[in-house]
Amino acid sequence: MKKLKKVLAATLAAAMVVSASPVVSQAASDDVLNFGCYVYSTSFDPAAYQNAAWQGVRMGVTECLFKFNNDMSVEPMLCDTYEVSDDKITWTFHIRDGVLFSNGDACDAQAVADSLNRLYYVCTNSEDYSSAPAGYIDMASIEADTDANTVTIVLNTAMADLTSALCFPYYSIIDVYGDTTDAEHEGGYATTVIATGPYALSSFDTTTKSGTLVANENYWNGEVPYGTVNFTFIEDDTTKAMSLMSGLVDLTENVTTSSDLATLEASDAYYVSQASGVRSGFAYINMAGVLGNDALRQAVRMAIDSETMCSVTVGGMYTAGVGILPSSLIYEDENLDNPYAYDVDAAIALLDEAGIVDTDGDGIRELDGENINLNYVTYNNRCLSDFAQAIQVSLSAIGIGVSVNSTDSDTEWMLMQAGEYDLCDSNWITVGTGDPTAFLLNWYGGEDGSNFYGEDNQNGTNYCNYDSDEFDALYEQFIASLDTDERNELVVEMEQVLVNDCAVLLHGYYNSTMISNASKVTGAEISTFDYYWLSTDIKPAE
Amino acid sequence: MQKILSFIKKHKAFTVFAILAAVLALVAIFADYIAPYDPYEAVLTDALQAPSSTHWFGTDKLGRDLFSRVIFGSRISLSSALILVACIFVVGSVLGILAGYFGGWVDAVIMRIADMMISFPGMVLAIAIAGILGASITNAVIAITAVSWTKYARLARSLVLKIKNCDYIAAARVTGSTTPHILSVYLFPNVMPTLLVTAFTDIGSMMLELAGLSFLGFGAQAPMAEWGLMLSEGRSYMMAAPWMMLYPGLAILVTVVVFNLLGDSLRDVLDPRDE
Repeated sequence: MKKLKKVLAATLAAAMVVSASPVVSQAASDDVLNFGCYVYSTSFDPAAYQNAAWQGVRMGVTECLFKFNNDMSVEPMLCDTYEVSDDKITWTFHIRDGVLFSNGDACDAQAVADSLNRLYYVCTNSEDYSSAPAGYIDMASIEADTDANTVTIVLNTAMADLTSALCFPYYSIIDVYGDTTDAEHEGGYATTVIATGPYALSSFDTTTKSGTLVANENYWNGEVPYGTVNFTFIEDDTTKAMSLMSGLVDLTENVTTSSDLATLEASDAYYVSQASGVRSGFAYINMAGVLGNDALRQAVRMAIDSETMCSVTVGGMYTAGVGILPSSLIYEDENLDNPYAYDVDAAIALLDEAGIVDTDGDGIRELDGENINLNYVTYNNRCLSDFAQAIQVSLSAIGIGVSVNSTDSDTEWMLMQAGEYDLCDSNWITVGTGDPTAFLLNWYGGEDGSNFYGEDNQNGTNYCNYDSDEFDALYEQFIASLDTDERNELVVEMEQVLVNDCAVLLHGYYNSTMISNASKVTGAEISTFDYYWLSTDIKPAE
Repeated sequence: MQKILSFIKKHKAFTVFAILAAVLALVAIFADYIAPYDPYEAVLTDALQAPSSTHWFGTDKLGRDLFSRVIFGSRISLSSALILVACIFVVGSVLGILAGYFGGWVDAVIMRIADMMISFPGMVLAIAIAGILGASITNAVIAITAVSWTKYARLARSLVLKIKNCDYIAAARVTGSTTPHILSVYLFPNVMPTLLVTAFTDIGSMMLELAGLSFLGFGAQAPMAEWGLMLSEGRSYMMAAPWMMLYPGLAILVTVVVFNLLGDSLRDVLDPRDE
């Protein structure tokens, strides 16, 4: 049976991978790593858009001044020391001496300042670049002191910790040859990016989203273990698992089908690294729709057994919790109280009490004379559509209809922006810059709803019309505070407000995975921050 | 009775397959009585259970009983396939007969539209139409109807062209028969056997196309118990829970084979050359 399974896996995987991409893995050797992964972007230019910025860092091509460790602490990378003024406005970073780009050019203070200035310039002045570096770091100026090899960043607004924000992949450093406006590099560095990471981009086919990396001969931080890395775009996670089992790839990331993951975990031939990361899976609740009704929203929350969904339906790919931020983070979420814990009987009683009943006997309750049929928008990524289906059947059991609209991520995003949903799935990195400033903006209303997204307010980041004076006040206090302890306490208070208002439907905290062929690869650990996939820690097995 | 017995004796294959098709239809009609569980009732803690005496075909990822879902799936898969075949049969035959009989611009317009439809790969065009209309089993039926009626139109047209200049049609005309009368009394019955055989043979392939669209996400939507959708849901679990694909797949296989063989045997029954 096992043999049959292996043969089946090999045949299917070969068929799927071969049909998926012409960049088929080359003959395995110690010097070559075959990496099957989801490739989110057709560009490696950090200015292009967020996924492109992430891609460079994930593939070990680009690096930032700092890097997150698994415990959210910050590790110096291209910058080795820094100083900050008392008002936390002026930050001076010393660039590590002797760092070279993969082409041999010096990655000194001037190169770093040019790279960052170019990022801000093109993102501000060209519609072709949609990264938003100013969203996380409001810079007034970036200047290099070539003698001291330092870069001085002056902010418009004080930041408690700029080093964490500089870990975000937007701020990865690339060689721009002193061209800070892209005047001579129209179209950016999508497939020609040169940076300081352990691997250099050798080729990248934007059609198949697959390519080849080669060792950066000038790498500053130790020996690069592989001469060549072939990365192959594999969209389907079952295909990833089967490609690994058949030997077509040596390493893959985020196999999200629980049964496939269980198969890999059960075998000694594969090493599965799993980490409760910084991602939360959740559904936005559109307060402007039918779920604006408090009783209905509370009943929905109580009818959903997140614990079972996380442990059984998605097979442990998520860990259930109360607060919107992962419990593995530093925020003391054990203090959070959930007044709407799973209790189907209480949910039914609440609906009955609120007069939300089924009067026409069709099995669906009515609100304001109309059947409740929630429009649940989801997409097939990181088990989100599994949650949607499980929630659909759970809510139908208490007489709430749900139509699941499973679409692609782009369409989902557009529907969310248009407000055409009642529930809308997402899986977010919650502390992208070391704290949840950007993430919690999702529920910040602002003065007179200034942060509500709309056609005439496309800078708004509140897509769910959640409006809470209490939350807004806490958020404003949070961003104004430079005291770390106070900020951490405020985060927990904001989480509690969201829980009390049932403002968001939390699925759980996502557990990222990295899976390797144990006989070929060693050191393949998934990082808590999934900005980092390929690193020099991933080596050929002895 | 004697006649029936002699028919059965003469057409054993047809009888067997007709009985099997009838059994499938009865399963769909009496699904409520056959299925041991509600096909939509999810017990999340019972997810992905292997076939057992409690759940004969096992359970799916939401803990729903697969046997019940396969049984209820026959309702949706069978009825939508029959509706689909009826639609393409009626639309295609009527347009084909009109094109063949009237000729001229009527023929040109109908057949050029048919040519346009044929020039695209059927499934690709169906996916495009279903994608534009939105994913649902009704829209999947509409999409496949839009690309499949041409076969019947071309067939009906060619059959009509073959017989419309026969003496008996000319005789009908000179004796004052009206066009509707000629069409319904002389032409339609003559082209019917061939079209009917084609329709029966098509039930299986149409069922496959519908299941294909559902598998790709353009047909039935969750939580509907539809075989193609169930196959798609089971695909991710094919290594660890192969029963999720096996039983809906077998259901499609059996039904398609039965209706294909029924179509073949019906051709033998209706083919005048056998006599």
